[in-house]
Amino acid sequence: MSATVQREITPFRRFAADYASNKIAVVALIGVVIIVFLALFANLIAPQNPYDLAQLDIMDGRLPPGAKSPAGWTYWLGTDDQGRDMFSGILYGLRISLGVGFGSAATAGVIGSALGLIAAYAGGWVETAIMRLVDLQLSFPAILVALMILAFLGKGVMNVMLALVIVEWARYARTARAAALVERRREYVEAAECLALPQWRVLFRHILPNCMPPLIVIGAIQVASAILLEATLSFLGLGVPITEPSLGLLIANGYQYMLSGKYWISFYPGLALLVTIVCLNLVADQLRDVLNPRLQR
Amino acid sequence: MARRVFAPLMAGLLATSPVSAQSLVMAFSGSPTSADPHYHTFSPNIALDSHSYNTLVDMDPKSRPIASLAESWRLVSPDTWEFKLRPGVKFHNGDDFTAEDVVYTLARVPTVLNSPGSFSIYTKSVVSSEVVDPHTIRLKTNGLYPLLPIDLTLVFMIPRRLGPNPLNEDFNNGRNAIGTGPYRMTSYKPGDRVELERFDGFWGKKPHWANVSVRMIPNDGARTASLLAGDVQFIEFVPTSDVARLGTDKRVALSQTDSLRLVFLWLNRSHQVAPPFVTGPNGEALTTNPLNDLRVRKALSMAINRNAIVERVMEGAAIPSNQFLAPGVSGHVADLAPVPFDIAAARALLAEAGYPKGFRITLHGPNDRYVNDGKIVQAIGQMWTRIGVETKVDAMTWTTYISRASKQEFSAFLLGWGISSGEASNPLRALVHTYDAASGWGSVNRGRYSNPQLDGMIKAAMAVADDKMREAALIDAERVAMEDVALIPIHIQKNIWAMRAGLTHTPRADERTLAMDLIPAP
Repeated sequence: MSATVQREITPFRRFAADYASNKIAVVALIGVVIIVFLALFANLIAPQNPYDLAQLDIMDGRLPPGAKSPAGWTYWLGTDDQGRDMFSGILYGLRISLGVGFGSAATAGVIGSALGLIAAYAGGWVETAIMRLVDLQLSFPAILVALMILAFLGKGVMNVMLALVIVEWARYARTARAAALVERRREYVEAAECLALPQWRVLFRHILPNCMPPLIVIGAIQVASAILLEATLSFLGLGVPITEPSLGLLIANGYQYMLSGKYWISFYPGLALLVTIVCLNLVADQLRDVLNPRLQR
Repeated sequence: MARRVFAPLMAGLLATSPVSAQSLVMAFSGSPTSADPHYHTFSPNIALDSHSYNTLVDMDPKSRPIASLAESWRLVSPDTWEFKLRPGVKFHNGDDFTAEDVVYTLARVPTVLNSPGSFSIYTKSVVSSEVVDPHTIRLKTNGLYPLLPIDLTLVFMIPRRLGPNPLNEDFNNGRNAIGTGPYRMTSYKPGDRVELERFDGFWGKKPHWANVSVRMIPNDGARTASLLAGDVQFIEFVPTSDVARLGTDKRVALSQTDSLRLVFLWLNRSHQVAPPFVTGPNGEALTTNPLNDLRVRKALSMAINRNAIVERVMEGAAIPSNQFLAPGVSGHVADLAPVPFDIAAARALLAEAGYPKGFRITLHGPNDRYVNDGKIVQAIGQMWTRIGVETKVDAMTWTTYISRASKQEFSAFLLGWGISSGEASNPLRALVHTYDAASGWGSVNRGRYSNPQLDGMIKAAMAVADDKMREAALIDAERVAMEDVALIPIHIQKNIWAMRAGLTHTPRADERTLAMDLIPAP
C-alpha cells in the first residue's frame, strides 16, 4: 500500500520540480489560474451584467476609459457602442472563450483519443476507416470546416463548440494512435492479455494511462487554438449572438472605430485575448518539454 | 539652391497638367451588374447609366420630377399621356432623338433576357403608344395612371438604330453603349472600374470633368482610406463611424442630404393568438396577440428614443421620423406630431391594454444590410426592456433574414424601404396596403397589416389626376396609417459623400453618385 502511494507522489513531485525550472512557465501558469478565476467568478467581479439589455444604456456608448457611469462607478476600460462596460464585457467574454476552449478541447479529446486507441488496438479495416477519416479531416483548413458547419447550423455557443469538436478530434486521434501503437507491443500489455482481461480493460486501464503525456500536451495546445478559432468565428459574425459578445465579437465591434481614435473598444479585448493565448501556449510548451522523455535532462 | 530651382518647376508642372484639372476618379460602394441600362433595377447600375443615358422625365436632387428628354407632359384624356420631346437632341453616334426611339425603348425593356430585376415594372402600365409627330408621343394606360411620368424617370432611352434584340454583352463591350447623356462609356471592367469620356454634343449643361473613372470599392474602410490617400477624389456611402473624423480633416469635405430610405419596424399582425417569439412575462404562452392592440403598438413606438438612436448609433447621419418621407419631399405630412419618447406613458398604455407586467418578445433584424442595423435593434431592445417588454435581440445575415421575414416567422423585425418615386403613393401601396398577390399592392407588407378604410383611401387617392389634390388625399391616408401604427418608423437615413477639399457636390436624395454633380469650389 505504501509503495503505491510513493509511486504516485514521486513522479508528480519530479514533474512539479521540472515544470518549475522555467520561471516564465510558472508566471504563465499563474496567469492561467488568474484568468480562469476571473472567468469563473465573472458575475461576482463584474460591476455590470453586459448581457442584460436592461442594464445597458445607449447614451453611455463609446465612453473613454475612466469615465463615470450614471450609477456612480467608473468604466475603467471605457464602454462599447451599446454602452456596455468593457471590463465587464471582457470578463464575461473570457468566460465564453474559456468555456468554449476547454469544453471543446475536452470533448474532442475524449472522442478523438478513444477513436485513436481503438484504431491502434483493433487494426485492420477499423484502423483504416478511422485513420482515413482523420486524414480527410486534417486535409481541410480548420477555419473552413468551422465556417461551413456554422453556416449550416446557425449561430450560438453550442454550435460553435460542436464545430470546434468536429474540427479538433482528428489531432487527438492521430496522437493517441501513434502512442498506443508503441505501447501495445510492450510486455505489460502482453501480460494483461495473458490474464484474459477484457479488451476494453486492457485498452483503457493499461494502454491509455501510458499514452496520456502526449495527449495532455495536445490538449493544452488545442485549448489555445480553440479559443483563437472561436474568436475568429465571432469576429466574422458567425459565432455568438450580438447581445452576448465573446472576445472576438467585442474586438469586431470596436474594429470600425479604430480609425476614429476610439481604440479601447478593440484594444482591451484584444489584449485580454493575447495574454490568455500566450499564457496557455507557454504552459503547453513547458508541459511538452517536461512530459517528453526524449527531452528529459 | 535646390529649392529655388524646384519650386518654379513644380508650380509649372501642376499648372500645365491637364489630366489633374479635367479628370475625376470616384468610387462606388457597389458594383454595377451590367452596362445595359435595362438589365437590372439596381442602384449602382442606375447611377452608372445616368451618366450615359437620359430619361424622358428626370428627378432633381430632391427627387421632384423635372423635364429631361421630354420638355413637357400632360394628360390629354384620363387614360392618355402626351409627351412633347426636346428637339435637337443627339445620340452619341450622331442620330437624332425622336419619338420612334421612345417606342423602340418601351418595346425593348420587357424583352431583356435573364434580367435579375426587370425595368418592365416601370413600363407595364403603358398599353399602347402613338407617334403624333417626331417630337410628340402619346402613351395610353389602362385607365387613369397618374404616376406614369414618375415611372418613366427610370426608363433610359436608347436609339432604334440598335435593331431588334440588342445584346446585353454589346452594352458591356461598348458597341451598343449609345445614349444621349453627358458621358460616353469607353471601357467597362465588371467589379473593377468604368471609364467615361465627356460627350461634346450633349444637349444640356456641359459637365466640368472631361474624363471620369469610376472605381468599385465595396469595403468601407478601403474606400475612406483611398480618399485620404488621394487615390480617388470622391466617394459615396461614407461609414457613419468615419463621419466625425473626416469632418475635422482639412483635406476632405463632406456633403449630405436626407435620403428617401426609411428604417422602420414591422409588428406581425397575421396571428390572432400567440404570435411567434412572443410570450407572457414569465414565458407562458399567450391567448392573445398583444401586437393587435393599438395601445401596445403605441407604447412600443413611444418607448423608442429616436433622438438617442440618431445621435449615438447613427452619429447624426439620420433624422428621427414618425412618417414615410423627409421634410421637403412630396408627401411629407408637416403637421403629424412626432412620437413622444415617454417611458411612463408607454408603461401606462401597456397596463391599460392588459399587460401591466409587460410581455416577452424577440426583436429580429439583419446585421449586414442597412447602415448600423445590428446596433439599432440592440438599442431598441434596451429601450423596450425599460418599459417592461423584456426583449431578446437576434440579428442575422440578410439572405437568411429576409426569407424568414417574408414568411412572417418573426413578430417584431427591422426593415428599410427606399421610396424611389419620391412621393407617398409608393410606400402606401407597397408597404401598408393589405397584401394582395394578384394586384401587387401590399407586395412588401411583411407585417401583414390590413385596414380596409386605409385601402379605400389609397385606391381613391390613386384615381385623382391632379397632382396637388392627389398629394392631399395621400397625406390623409398616411395620417391614418401612422395613427394606427401600421409600422413603427425609426429614422430616415442621410446620404453622405466625401470629396477632396476644393470640390463642391450637390447631394441627391436618391443616393445616385453622379460626376455631373461635382464641380471645383468657386
